[in-house]
Amino acid sequence: MIEFRDVGVSYPADDEGAGATLALHGADLVIPEGELTLVVGPTGSGKSTLLRCINGLVPHFSGGTLHGRVLVDGRDTRTHRPRDLADVVGFVMQDPVASFVTDTVEEELAYGMESLGVDASAMRRRVEETLDLLGLADVRRRQLRDLSGGQQQRVAIGAVLASGPRILVLDEPTSALDPVAAEEVLASLHRLVHDLGLTVVLAEHRLERVIHHADNVVLLESGRGERSVSGLLAPAEAMLTSPIYPPVIGLGRALGWTPLPLSVRDARRRAVVLRERLGAPEEAPAVDRTGAEPVVAVSGLAVRRGTVPALRDVDLDVAPGEIVALMGRNGAGKSTLLAALVGQVAREHGSVRVGTLDPARAKPAHIVRQVGLVPQDPSLILYASSVAEECAAADTDFGLEPGTSARVLERILPGVEPTRHPHDLSEGQRLSVALALILASDPRVVLLDEPTRGLDYGAKRRLVSLLQELSAGGHAVMLATHDVELAAEVASRVVVLADGDVVADGPVRQVLSGSPAFAPQVAKILHPVRLLTVDEVVDAAGAAS
Amino acid sequence: MAGSPRSPRLLHPAAWWLWGLAMAVAASRTTNPFLLALTIAVVCWVVLERREIGMTNPLLPFLLIGLFAIGLRVVMVGLLGDAVAGRVVLFRLPEVPLPEWSSGVRIGGAVTLEGVLVAAYDGLRMATILVCLGAANALASPRRLLRYVPATLYEAGTAVVVALTFAPQLVEDARRVRAARRLRGHASRRVADIPRLAVPVLTGALERSLDLAASMESRGYGRVVHRTTRSTRLAGLLTLVGLTGVVIGLYGLLDATSPTALGIPMLVGGLLCALGALAVGVHRDDRTHYRRDEWHLPETLVAVSGAVPAVVLSVAAAQHWTGLVPPQVPAALPAVPPALAVALLVAALAAVLAPVPPVLAQSRLDLRAGAAAA
Amino acid sequence: MTPSWRTPAVLALALVIGVAAFTWPFFVTSGAQLNQLGHENDASLVFVVIMALLVLLLLAELTSGGADAKTVAVLGVLAAAGGALRVLSAGTAGLEPMFFLLVVAGRALGATKGFLLGVLALLASAFLTAGVGPWTPFQMIACGWVCLGAGLLPPLRGAAERWLLAGYGFLIGLGYGMVMNLWFWPFLGGSAPDGAGFVPDAGVTTNLGHYAAFYVTTSLAWDLPRGVLTAVLVFFASGSLLRALRRSVRRARFGAPVEFVEAGYT
Repeated sequence: MIEFRDVGVSYPADDEGAGATLALHGADLVIPEGELTLVVGPTGSGKSTLLRCINGLVPHFSGGTLHGRVLVDGRDTRTHRPRDLADVVGFVMQDPVASFVTDTVEEELAYGMESLGVDASAMRRRVEETLDLLGLADVRRRQLRDLSGGQQQRVAIGAVLASGPRILVLDEPTSALDPVAAEEVLASLHRLVHDLGLTVVLAEHRLERVIHHADNVVLLESGRGERSVSGLLAPAEAMLTSPIYPPVIGLGRALGWTPLPLSVRDARRRAVVLRERLGAPEEAPAVDRTGAEPVVAVSGLAVRRGTVPALRDVDLDVAPGEIVALMGRNGAGKSTLLAALVGQVAREHGSVRVGTLDPARAKPAHIVRQVGLVPQDPSLILYASSVAEECAAADTDFGLEPGTSARVLERILPGVEPTRHPHDLSEGQRLSVALALILASDPRVVLLDEPTRGLDYGAKRRLVSLLQELSAGGHAVMLATHDVELAAEVASRVVVLADGDVVADGPVRQVLSGSPAFAPQVAKILHPVRLLTVDEVVDAAGAAS
Repeated sequence: MAGSPRSPRLLHPAAWWLWGLAMAVAASRTTNPFLLALTIAVVCWVVLERREIGMTNPLLPFLLIGLFAIGLRVVMVGLLGDAVAGRVVLFRLPEVPLPEWSSGVRIGGAVTLEGVLVAAYDGLRMATILVCLGAANALASPRRLLRYVPATLYEAGTAVVVALTFAPQLVEDARRVRAARRLRGHASRRVADIPRLAVPVLTGALERSLDLAASMESRGYGRVVHRTTRSTRLAGLLTLVGLTGVVIGLYGLLDATSPTALGIPMLVGGLLCALGALAVGVHRDDRTHYRRDEWHLPETLVAVSGAVPAVVLSVAAAQHWTGLVPPQVPAALPAVPPALAVALLVAALAAVLAPVPPVLAQSRLDLRAGAAAA
Repeated sequence: MTPSWRTPAVLALALVIGVAAFTWPFFVTSGAQLNQLGHENDASLVFVVIMALLVLLLLAELTSGGADAKTVAVLGVLAAAGGALRVLSAGTAGLEPMFFLLVVAGRALGATKGFLLGVLALLASAFLTAGVGPWTPFQMIACGWVCLGAGLLPPLRGAAERWLLAGYGFLIGLGYGMVMNLWFWPFLGGSAPDGAGFVPDAGVTTNLGHYAAFYVTTSLAWDLPRGVLTAVLVFFASGSLLRALRRSVRRARFGAPVEFVEAGYT
């Protein structure tokens, strides 16, 4: 269906000093019809380039040189522009909102067909079919920006699907979604492959969500200057050598299971013996925090967003050195709580104390010395045109000695070129820069809102060790996250919010392993054994034998 | 019930705009305050009955600007004196002595009842025209007209659609960035801080715009609008010829010594060429439209109901009927010609002839249900 | 293909027509056909029709090269920013923040794209505020000129460019109001106050004097602060914004060369 014949992509040197770059090299594979193919690789390995070659966006839209040939359903992308392939390939972007041309669901679904000149009655029929197929009939007249993230992504898929392509290409469709929304989207994709026989090519960071849906895997690797694209591999085979992998694979690889189980269900079957051997491990002694003076004290906090109560009577104390994960559905009040801690939302009643001050009354310049928040989209607080300028601005903002921010950045992200533009950095690097700026004023409390959106496993590992370092240095850390694996790895305590209430608050092991929704993969595999991460299992297994 | 004339649907936007513009034309023909007030009443009633509900009612700002126009006009006449030789002096303002060369201009002096009235009538006429246009905006969102742009304006029309889709997002982005600014210790509202607001918002938006472009490109943007070298050349030629014709025509119109043939005929010819350029710029347009508004009997009736007062008042103005322009000196209450009042009332039929817009129908149902429950 | 001289030629003709449409009250000579059109308002209506058609023609002509998706998206987004700024500042004096953006963006995009941006931004803002009326074509053309002018200013860089743009911002802040009042000034006709209204047969000097009186009494008080504010905004904010916009425009790679090589990369 899709044929790559020795494909490479290169860009010429530009006038900003960047040399000629090679974005893809040696892709030689045939993607079969009616299967779901997963493209796996670290950030910057050329996943997007590979996907964009399929409908000719590379090189027609991006510029640059395409070496070799890409054939899609017999059409050569050298002679077919993306618009000429619109009826064969549907291309879905990572951020659905950025891909919307119109503003209501129905109009968006029809837009592609209008530009292809599909006649009115056929168009009407296909819009209805697409609405049903993706479960969007209830929201057909709604404004796109009022929809939830999962619905928006399904509209984006429907918008390309309505034109009737046989191939669907998706660039990280669930990276920005919470687990529930991601599940909606993946269920839809699964149905498209199985019921309609569509060919789906998909790139995704969050492998734990998709690996068990995949029929084939293409591995991309980028070493120093070297790039390679594997051929078509079976998922289990690919995961043996893949540089990035989800915890279930990590466990299998660490314990030498063959064939490698890809899903929690398969892994549980393999783990029967292991579970018996591990037995019930002794509870880790609870950290004694009674002596420490809490650095965050929230009591009876209530906040309204418009007419809707966003937080009701929340009580929470956080001691120095704690890492607290705030979890819960979208709209449960996680971000609102963080915003209240930096004085960004007006509270209805209750009191908040962070460090020595009340953030609702203090000046921002004083707040930043006590508490720093890295927003969900770190680029919101970046505005200078280079990393060095950004650091210098932070020094003047916080009244610090020149060079302080740059030193902090050097510590958490060694080797980043100071002349780079913040927007040219990868998501992980951008997060590090934003974090460095926030840390420069040495706040006692560090807050992070969804820090792992769009991070690959490598970047996530770096974040984990950084947070642990902060906690060891006596900082209190709070992170709002959907990422249970991150919480399992790094948090000492988990607070679950639902509908503005605190519904669970306790040590990480107790809260996560007991919950069906928030249990990490390892805990699900080993239930009732209360272990959360691969490392813990390896240690425990070593001790048990 | 689908297809029944009484079932809720949106009227074709062009029908409402024709109606609104016709009402504006009718209003522009008279300064009789009673006729103008009647026009405003008719327009407001139709808006109340058949508005396409958005978040805000666009008629309100138009009403406010209209009031402002009346006030401004009266104040100006008070300050600068008036062109009518009024007899009833209301009061005198101190007169500012001006040098000789400013002949004709005076500041201060006597303020006459007649002068104030004339200014108020004229301000009212301006306000009425504004209200008619505001009504068109409220009855049919102008963005629905965007669907009918000809293929020659395909790109420009798409850019406007994109702009309208993106604008609310940008407002939201701006709010988020403003909140985030506090995270770096900023609270001031100095001008020098504006880049900190503008740069993240705009860079983010432009980056997303490239995604949008990629998405449009992959979805077939521009695939079925065919431009050939011949059609673009012809359009270019017609554009140049048309614009030149308009330039010459304008010269003819403005200069008394030029022959008559240089004026209006040249101008009309130029405009026709320009229209031609819009028509031939595209070789073939195979775009199709999803749920295009259809033109049925109610559309025609609404357009005609608006045209009636426009035609009647224009004819009346051309034939200098009494009652269109109230007597200036001495000031007296103008009479209301019944024929003209009836003509204006015909336009009110639009409130009955047009189908109810779905959102309005729904909110009325909800209201009724609420009342019944209570 | 569009010959390279056509766009400037069309823009120049449009400039002549636009200037005539705004300033005809000063040029019309006694006894000209325009004054014989009958009702005093009809002359203004003629120009409303001409300007509306002119706007459409310019939009069609400037995009007739088949503006690609990138151009359309970038123009759309910048126009949205302009429109959003106008919506946000509707409560205050009005157009300053939008002008600030238009000057800077026009500068970054260059003359032709800048002109398109000005026209589209004003149109988008008219749609957003539901303020479409006979004034819209006049405003669109005037805004187009604002951006066109910013693109055509001498190619200075750094501090000199900031001063240049700030000065330009002040001038257009003042000039825009002066020009925009003109389109409806004759429409006021004889009913405007004595000595400040348009007198059809009175000649250039009288009408210029009358207009000056009209302008000083009605809108100078608005336009002066607008000019100053635009200048201040541009002066303090144009540097980093211009850098950011230029970078984004570069990254968009308009018309980047596309190449195909049969053999694989070695």
